[in-house]
Amino acid sequence: MPVTRVLFPLYQLGNPQMRIFRPNWFLTLVRPGREQPPDTVQFRIPMEMTKFDVKNYLEKIYSVPVGAVRTRIQFGSNKKRNHLNQKVKQPDYKVAYVQLAQGQTFTFPDIFPEKEKTPKEGSMEEMQEKFMEDEKQRQKLDPRRGGVTEWFGL
Amino acid sequence: MTCHPKGSRIRQERNMAARTRLPLLFPKNLPPLRNKKLVHTEAVVKEPAYPPIVHSLTAKSKAARKRQVEEQVKKICASTAEEKLTLLTRIQRKKFVVYPQTFARNADRWYQHFTKTAYIPGLPEKFNLGQEEIGGEESSQPAAAQTAALGIGDDVFANIRSLVTREILQEFWHTNKRKPFHYRHQELMVGPFLRNLATRLTYGLAKYNPLLPFSSLDIGPSVHFYWRRGERIIPRGHRRGRLEPTRFQIDDNPLCQIRITEQLPQFVPMEASYTAEVPEITLAPNMMPMFRKQYDNNIFTGSKLPDPACYGHTQFHLVPDRYHRDWMARRNQSDQVEVFLRANALASLFAWTGAQAMYQGFWNNEDVTRPFVSQAVISDGKFFSFFCYQLNTLALSVQVDANNPRKNLLWGTESLKLYDSIQDGEVVGLNDGVLKLLVQFLLNQP
Repeated sequence: MPVTRVLFPLYQLGNPQMRIFRPNWFLTLVRPGREQPPDTVQFRIPMEMTKFDVKNYLEKIYSVPVGAVRTRIQFGSNKKRNHLNQKVKQPDYKVAYVQLAQGQTFTFPDIFPEKEKTPKEGSMEEMQEKFMEDEKQRQKLDPRRGGVTEWFGL
Repeated sequence: MTCHPKGSRIRQERNMAARTRLPLLFPKNLPPLRNKKLVHTEAVVKEPAYPPIVHSLTAKSKAARKRQVEEQVKKICASTAEEKLTLLTRIQRKKFVVYPQTFARNADRWYQHFTKTAYIPGLPEKFNLGQEEIGGEESSQPAAAQTAALGIGDDVFANIRSLVTREILQEFWHTNKRKPFHYRHQELMVGPFLRNLATRLTYGLAKYNPLLPFSSLDIGPSVHFYWRRGERIIPRGHRRGRLEPTRFQIDDNPLCQIRITEQLPQFVPMEASYTAEVPEITLAPNMMPMFRKQYDNNIFTGSKLPDPACYGHTQFHLVPDRYHRDWMARRNQSDQVEVFLRANALASLFAWTGAQAMYQGFWNNEDVTRPFVSQAVISDGKFFSFFCYQLNTLALSVQVDANNPRKNLLWGTESLKLYDSIQDGEVVGLNDGVLKLLVQFLLNQP
């Protein structure tokens, strides 16, 4: 569903409070580029959201206790040029640093863990690896010659 | 059987020959010692013919830079206190501005790291008498014994009590004050109460504390301090890759403060701080968040250097509207109330004691020889918190702090209610323990 233009009504004292029941906003949790304190979580948020929106969003929808929110807008560079020498703009985005309340901490998890490369027994990969190893072994020179080439000798 | 190549065997024989040069029979009379330098002789003092060889001052080398720094340090050590202050605060660079009253979360841990202070809950033993009273409202000891321990009579304490009640009623009951301006409730309603309380208590207890008649009570003073701690590598710019010390500046405005002519005695000896724990934070202060600015580096206790009342006694701070516990509760930050008070006391008292020490000529490379002590009372009208600070070390920069076991100490209480409420021109539930602590604080003398 495309992002439709939303006009919020102007609030005057005594009016009913604005309530958004199903916001069209989506937050993205990102790994911080710089090391952050343990209670800080970093999000990319839509440009239209404010600090108070982020706080309410996390508290009401995800029931995360939020202490403080700080936001900034990251300018996307307009410097690169394409093959037609036109400037290519990378989109701007808003970043929110959320500090959790009640002494909670958060560390960004390791999404791409290192996998051990031992293939299981009797599989194609193991046979292929063994074959490659034998080939490499055949290419190597006799270790007893101590690195001397085979061009000469008896 | 292994066969060694020929060369190594010869080498082995030569080495063996070198080791065993003595004759087969050990001689009884050894030949006379040729080397008489080891024997005690009169040292012959020879004037050096040439001046000492030192690194150059103006070359583009690390040794030259080191020598420049040493020369600067010697120059500062050899100057008077006023000149030291000017030399240390001469050059302006970007520095972190430390606000004692800050909205940042967990600010007290960060400030402890910046000032190398350890926090000890509760007050030092000197004030522990008062502490027991607050815990239990009805104490088994007779009232006379408690006030005798304070050093004043029972009737004097009753006078103080009535003074405080009158003060509370005057400000909050009798005076017809207009509706306060927006966001200025604390400043206009509670500020005058605290100021009058401090002033009248000081005057009332001046008879019992010989320091107070010669003290100076400042109203709305400013306290400034500038120091360096920690290093970082400059990431961008023409100075990229070089080490730069992180500079901090505190500009504080307590509600009122008392400055005295003699120094307060230490709470604990300096060696006791060696075992205290200071939280270590490896992140840059930017993450706190804290911001950098460049302006005049000031070091100021509240009055200029030649003032005889150069030592600090007590500071009174007012909690502004934004950090009042009701406002914090609205933002669901009730746990940060105590943190805010601790951070405030830490920063203010560190700045004050540090400035006092610098007025006496101590600085980063010439560490304090005696601890500097000050006290603070932070209140929002109803809740009072008491803090004591002992400055044991000013050596906070990286080179000097490497082998410095001393730490600064901050003692502090939780916030205690002075009175419960005011009803029909009567103060209900006046807490004697808090009053006793106030009196003890003001009566603190060497």
